[in-house]
Amino acid sequence: MAEAVRHRTEVLVVGSGAGGAVTALELASAGRDVAVLEEGGEHADDDYGKSSPEAMRLLYRRRGMTPILGQVPLGYVEGACVGGSTEINSGFWHRTPREVLLRWHAQFGLADAGVDDMAPHFDWAEERLGISKYDREWPKSTRMFAQGIEAMGWAYQEVPRAAPGCLSTNACASGCPTGKKRGMSRALWPTAREKGARLVPRCRVHQLLFERHRCIGVLAEVEVEGGRRVLARIDADHVFVCAGPTETPALLRRSGVKFHVGETLRVHPMLKVAARFPETIDAHQSVLPLLQVKEFWPDVSLGGAFFTPGHLALGLSDNWPETSDRMQRFRNMASYYVAVRGEGRGWVRPSKLGDGATLIHYDVGPGDLKNLSQGLARLCTLLLAAGAEEVLPAVRGMASITSEDEAIRWLDEALPKANLSLTTVHAFSSCPIGERSEKCAADSFGKLRRYENLYVNDASVLPDSPGVNPQGSVMAFARRNALHFIDRLS
Amino acid sequence: MSSESSRRWVTVLGAGVSALFLWVAVRHIDLASVKETWRTARPLPWIPLAMAAYVVGHFVRGARLRFLVRREAGLQVTTATNVVVVGYASNNVLPARLGELVRAGMLAERTGIPLTQALTVTFIERLVDGVAILFLLVGASWATHTAGWIAELARVGALVFGVALAGLGLAVFFPAALGALASRLSQPLGRRAHDTAVGLVTSIVNGAAVLRRPLDALVIGVLSVVVWLCESAMFVAVLPALGLAPSPGMAVIAMSVTNLGILVPSTPGFVGPFHFFCSQALLAQGVGAEIALAYAVLVHIAFYAPATLWGAGAMLWYGVEVGATAALARAARRSQRVETIGGVPMQIIAQLAEPPKEAEASDFDRALTEAILPPGGSAAVVGDSARFLAGQIAALPTRVRTLYAIGMSVFRFWVRVRYLRSFCGLDLDRRRAAVAGWAFGTIAPLRQLFRAPRSTVLLAFYEHPAGLATLGAEERRHLPVATTAPEEAHG
Repeated sequence: MAEAVRHRTEVLVVGSGAGGAVTALELASAGRDVAVLEEGGEHADDDYGKSSPEAMRLLYRRRGMTPILGQVPLGYVEGACVGGSTEINSGFWHRTPREVLLRWHAQFGLADAGVDDMAPHFDWAEERLGISKYDREWPKSTRMFAQGIEAMGWAYQEVPRAAPGCLSTNACASGCPTGKKRGMSRALWPTAREKGARLVPRCRVHQLLFERHRCIGVLAEVEVEGGRRVLARIDADHVFVCAGPTETPALLRRSGVKFHVGETLRVHPMLKVAARFPETIDAHQSVLPLLQVKEFWPDVSLGGAFFTPGHLALGLSDNWPETSDRMQRFRNMASYYVAVRGEGRGWVRPSKLGDGATLIHYDVGPGDLKNLSQGLARLCTLLLAAGAEEVLPAVRGMASITSEDEAIRWLDEALPKANLSLTTVHAFSSCPIGERSEKCAADSFGKLRRYENLYVNDASVLPDSPGVNPQGSVMAFARRNALHFIDRLS
Repeated sequence: MSSESSRRWVTVLGAGVSALFLWVAVRHIDLASVKETWRTARPLPWIPLAMAAYVVGHFVRGARLRFLVRREAGLQVTTATNVVVVGYASNNVLPARLGELVRAGMLAERTGIPLTQALTVTFIERLVDGVAILFLLVGASWATHTAGWIAELARVGALVFGVALAGLGLAVFFPAALGALASRLSQPLGRRAHDTAVGLVTSIVNGAAVLRRPLDALVIGVLSVVVWLCESAMFVAVLPALGLAPSPGMAVIAMSVTNLGILVPSTPGFVGPFHFFCSQALLAQGVGAEIALAYAVLVHIAFYAPATLWGAGAMLWYGVEVGATAALARAARRSQRVETIGGVPMQIIAQLAEPPKEAEASDFDRALTEAILPPGGSAAVVGDSARFLAGQIAALPTRVRTLYAIGMSVFRFWVRVRYLRSFCGLDLDRRRAAVAGWAFGTIAPLRQLFRAPRSTVLLAFYEHPAGLATLGAEERRHLPVATTAPEEAHG
């Protein structure tokens, strides 16, 4: 027994992304003994900025092959590397809107999470990440979008990013090789390590271990010297699960923790379009469009998407016989999206078959379909008003929209569900927090109900859709919860 | 109990079991008649033939072992066969089937795979052997209309191995769930029991991984049946030496009953149980008691002599000491230790198998990729895109990947029926037409099937320098690497 005590870690954090990195940094700063287990690898700048296939192999979970199944399958990707999805996202930053925080309080009994409560945590994160607006002339893809917004007279926002001094290299989705985009690996991990946090990359946690209602450690697959892998038990006094919105509930359920876990997944379904302009845009050589249309928020947002010739081909592939010739005009094209708040619901389960890969299911609701249809109509009219010669949606059987009349049809009609190619990069709410025990997996600060020392602290804790890019919300809540935990320990 | 005293107990118990079976086998036998049977026997050419059949069986076992560990080690058939034979030879000189440990130890030593995994491979071999023997026993029982206790034995054996097979099926198809279940069920039993249970299940899962591909499982199954048909041939060959008709059915039943019987741990070489079960199998088929015993003794010689001599030679050749190898095998049981990895103390419970290598593109992947891509792609870009496709499909969750594999099998079958040729054998225009017919047709599930490969290879193609060149674009320019330390950057 004495030996077991000697080998314990005080706080074990599973995952090193937006939730895990913040948790580790705050705990280490408070002088706690912290170890972080990360499933993916740790990469130097040399590994970043490679082609999409190579980046998917290095940085993405299951090489980007993590479909969300349902009536309409959604392509979903998330990071699996030190820093998690913050290494491959666009770095767009939003504070959780006041309206959303109020709703979370009303519907989930989320305590101590008003705008004023959250402000210091957002301030802290924004300083760490150098949140700022793009400080150069907007790239052409953004300017065309702005032109369309102006023509329509809609409200919009230039979204600040975690990329101070961005060099516009268009490498956000494959890891920023310039170090300007402040993913967790660059922004927080150096400091966390200085403060004493230990990080074990290539360490996949299979299972949490329990003694009655206490989590006493984890069972993990670890890579050791020479690429060998071992199964190891790691003992701990407290465990934070920060493995992301899909892996956190999967790990908890695999370990027998099921109370409101993985039952309420929410996502922002997204429909992409490519717009072809008469002039050269060269979207593949600049940062993605920086504006978001807020006129229809919170139900619908319009914005710009990552663009490379490969990603353009992917977007056109549903109508490839009709659209393949547009590839020759790729320099005149840019990609944009309609994102909706996501009224449907999904679930997350560890698969019993095979290697236990996480199964993700989401049913696009009727409200989602209506919002996507209307959003597509509005995005097409905007782009046509901006001067686009045609808009090519990722909808089978709808190769090209060339007039406003064709576009506005979808204000009143629903898009054919079976023909949609939807994607998402925003998932959350799979372990909602709040005081309403009939619907929340954890209390207002992420401590799982029925367990004395087990916490969740990542995107899965957001009670439901924030309606904006979630990284800001995830980091602010993670810090709030970590500080609360430290207070309790003290 | 110390390991020295437990080994003594094993030896004493084994000797007791052997003595009991030997006594039961000979108690009503007229030994003079047995001697007379041997005197009139015609050992040539039958006994050498029997031994030859047995030796061939060992080579097939070697081929099977090589196949089982081929992902972890490049073992030659001869080396693999020697590993098998050393195990058999050790069983012939060590009690209580301890040769299985020696065999696992030598396998680990020759290949560098973890000992626990080598023990698992041995376990898997034993399990598929059991299934193959039962398969032959049931078949022969039906063919020869055997009744009585042999039919009963077949039924009981089928039940036992059915349960084992179900367990193996869980390890093959539900490895993660099985590990999780073992962990959860054993947690209340305490730390030590939990770690031991998880370590054991992990080893079994590692070993069973080789059966995950249906084709691999089929190859192993077929090789196992061939192994035991060779052993049956040994039993057949000895029959004419004693003036009995060379009945394959009788020989298969004798072989099956004998090999199931010697699962009982006993003295070295299974003296006693071997003779008892072999002679009882012949008695049940109407052969006289004295001839049955004489037969059992001759078969045992054909079984014992070649493996023991060959095994001893192999041990000398490879410099394997039985004691040292057995010690190595015992050490495998003590693999649990504390290590510090990345500054974090961890209790190591089990070694895991090597991660699967990067998926290679099959001919079908290449043919499909070429049919999807725009014309004019070089062989290099087609090859790279196909390799990317294979890697992406392999990364899919098992359930989705299985559906994809089934769908593509149906597509390939349809192509064969429609064009009377395989998909890979079609010219490019027809391949394109076949793919377009499904990918852009009117049936939604068929369209869905082709979405993943189509988008995957198009992405790969247009991110490839050669693909970009078709657009007059260049490869993504080299990007400036960070020159500012992250901490400085945000001040």
